Amino acid sequence: MRLEKCWFCSSTIYPGHGIQFVRNDAKIFRFCRSKCHKNFKMKRNPRKVKWTKAYRRLHGKDMTQDATFEFERKRNRPERYDRNLTENTLKAIKTIDKVRFRREETHHKNRMKGKVAKERKEARKELDQQIHMLVAPGAMVKDTFAAKVTVKVQHESTDENRMEE
Amino acid sequence: MRKVKFTQTNFHEKLSTIIEEFPRLDDIHPFYGDLLHVLYNKDHYKLALGQINTARNLISKIAKDYVKLLKYGDSLYRCKALKVAALGRMCTVTKRIGPSLAYLDQIRQHMARLPSIDPNTRTILICGYPNVGKSSFINKITRADVDVQPYAFTTKSLFVGHTDYKYLRYQVIDTPGILDRPFEDRNIIEMCSITALAHLRAAVLFFLDISGSCGYTIAQQSALFHSIKSLFMNKPLIIVCNKTDLQSLEGISEDDKNLVEEMKSEAMKTLIGQGGEPREGAEVLLTMSTLTEQGVIAVKNAACERLLDQRVEIKMKSKKINDCLNRFHVAVPKPRDQKERPPCIPQAVLEAKAKEAEKEKKRLEKDIEEENGGAGVYSASLKKHYLLAHDEWKEDNMPEILDGHNVYDFVDPDILQRLEELEKEEGLLQDQEDDEVEMDVEDLTPQQQKELAEIRKKKSLLIREHRIKKSTAESRPIVPRKFDKDKRFTSERMGRQLSSLGLDPSKAIERVRSKSRGRKRDRSTDHDMDVDNDGSNKKMRARSLSRSRSRPPTNELVPGEGFKDSAQKIKAFKLGKKSVQKRNKDAKKGVDDDHDLRRGWPVMTEVWMNVGGIKKIRVYDFESYFLFGRFHVCFILVSCYTFLNLWIFSDNYEMIFGFISQSSGVLSFSCLLFFLVKFELHKYESHFKLQARLQPNMKWALQNRRKT
Repeated sequence: MRLEKCWFCSSTIYPGHGIQFVRNDAKIFRFCRSKCHKNFKMKRNPRKVKWTKAYRRLHGKDMTQDATFEFERKRNRPERYDRNLTENTLKAIKTIDKVRFRREETHHKNRMKGKVAKERKEARKELDQQIHMLVAPGAMVKDTFAAKVTVKVQHESTDENRMEE
Repeated sequence: MRKVKFTQTNFHEKLSTIIEEFPRLDDIHPFYGDLLHVLYNKDHYKLALGQINTARNLISKIAKDYVKLLKYGDSLYRCKALKVAALGRMCTVTKRIGPSLAYLDQIRQHMARLPSIDPNTRTILICGYPNVGKSSFINKITRADVDVQPYAFTTKSLFVGHTDYKYLRYQVIDTPGILDRPFEDRNIIEMCSITALAHLRAAVLFFLDISGSCGYTIAQQSALFHSIKSLFMNKPLIIVCNKTDLQSLEGISEDDKNLVEEMKSEAMKTLIGQGGEPREGAEVLLTMSTLTEQGVIAVKNAACERLLDQRVEIKMKSKKINDCLNRFHVAVPKPRDQKERPPCIPQAVLEAKAKEAEKEKKRLEKDIEEENGGAGVYSASLKKHYLLAHDEWKEDNMPEILDGHNVYDFVDPDILQRLEELEKEEGLLQDQEDDEVEMDVEDLTPQQQKELAEIRKKKSLLIREHRIKKSTAESRPIVPRKFDKDKRFTSERMGRQLSSLGLDPSKAIERVRSKSRGRKRDRSTDHDMDVDNDGSNKKMRARSLSRSRSRPPTNELVPGEGFKDSAQKIKAFKLGKKSVQKRNKDAKKGVDDDHDLRRGWPVMTEVWMNVGGIKKIRVYDFESYFLFGRFHVCFILVSCYTFLNLWIFSDNYEMIFGFISQSSGVLSFSCLLFFLVKFELHKYESHFKLQARLQPNMKWALQNRRKT
């Protein structure tokens, strides 16, 4: 029994799920569910469909090259059974998984590195530029002017105020 | 005549074929003759055939007579009658021989199924008591599939099998069991085997059941032997003791042993009588067991050997052999010198031969399976012969899947080493990661965040409003702000919005109020409180629902609507909307509403008024009617008056002045009248009840019309 990968979305296909399609040139396409199958029949390219692993890898959203991927490779030469080796392999699978997961996390973090700063900058800019939705520019200017002008001659300030209104 | 002859010839032919096809008992081999006699009574058989013969002759005679008669028939009717009579007689004859025909047919079917035994070729005959194991023996040495059952007389007739020995084919005949009875009492089945024994020149294997499991003791069996030993004359005889797995030959009692010895001596007599060298008694008495297959091959070989020898002997003695002998010649090399040259057998072969002699039978998997309960109970462990480093690992179940990975993909002899490297790498990476990322930009204060949230809320609100307006813009009439139902453009609202923005609204409101008067009615009554933002949002949200959720989408094809397909339906809807769009923009009530707002001329509109029941009267829009009527009447009057005056008083200038004054007076009078009626029009309004339910847009349009 083998766990296969879906041709479209690259998720694992467990036994009892999905459909396999064999083309006339004997190439086998396996699909994990009818969603992938229908997308395939519509001749959609998985590299252009956002939610697939192919797209994510191509566009750098997910980790592409890593040493942990080298461990999992389909080997065609059968090895003679060795209990110790099997034990070690089973333990190794678990640690490799952990390592891979950690590395994926760091990859994601690196991808999102500048996001917070960028967001804050944008928020600040929006606040500066769109403040007129909350407070009319006249009112704001009036405050500033009022603060400054009150020191000067009284009647001049009142004239200015009237003009602004 | 021809018909009669034809019928006769047919019968003759058919009957002749029957008679000829059936074998004559005297002409065939005596074995078959006897067999047929045993199976179907010879006399009966002959009788039947004889009957058919007489029938044939009778038919011929009938035909001959009637043909003669027919020659001298005078009328057609007589001829026909004769013909009918002839045919009838022939048919009766045939009917009479019906039963014998049926009997012969049965015989024919049975004969067809008789085994094909060649009496002249090498034959081995198996005889003995019922249930001693004759059929199982034949099953073992040949490919015959004879029924083997625990009850006696399972085999009811002769069965033939073929076996090979020294590149020669031997017939093996299985007979039904014989009981020890006087000859006359024997039944048909036993007679079959007796016949075979009597006529076939074959080697005879007399089967003896030592264990007695057939139900008969050795004494009985030996008694049978003695009674039929006369049949064994001139035939190589071998006594075979069967079922040695249940009881060995040494284990039987003394009396039985004596009986067996007697039988053996009898058999020896036949051996000696054959004329061969007296050999050991081992050739005559053999033991075997068909169940364990011990000694079966030996028995077969012995029987075949004996038979072959006998036949060769006979051939040698006959005259024909001389012809054969001339044909072949055995070449023998002449000895050169006295040196002995024995055949060269390599040492290995000798050793192998020695080993084979002491080799025991290998214990097969099949045997193990049988030991442990048979096919359904025991399942052989396929991993038994695995070559592994340690034998305890043989029955291990290796997992194939772990955590969504195939374990076989990871198995690698150097996996530990690679794992170590990976861990080292990982350690290094982790050390690098521990450096903190600096944040250059600081976060907004809570106050600022609140403001930002409000800004965003307002923006999203604007966007939503705009989207709704956009979708309905094409077919919404542009209503001036005075007539807005939602009261979005009141000065109070403006004042509130401005004050929320931080400005002082009072001056703005004053300015606005000074420029516009608003409607008379609005001026007098109090406004309700304006619906605030959330409420209008709610209204807009309610209105933005373009369809009720309980109905299917408008583009879907519903069967009863009369559309060919959904494309046609969509097109129909679009056309409908398009036609309404222009009218809506012009604020028209419907298709018949043809007021023209831009020109402002009063338009004659016909309105059908329902006056109690079916009858409808046509009432013109009174305003327009009166307006028009008035206008025209005045104009005509004035013009006539002026012309009249001018014509009468054309040459007198004083009179012209007088006319002018008169005319002005008349004009003013008419204007006065005009205005009077106009202002009284609203009295007649309610009387005629025409403007009961006009939309505010319409009301405005009509009022606008009056103004210009």
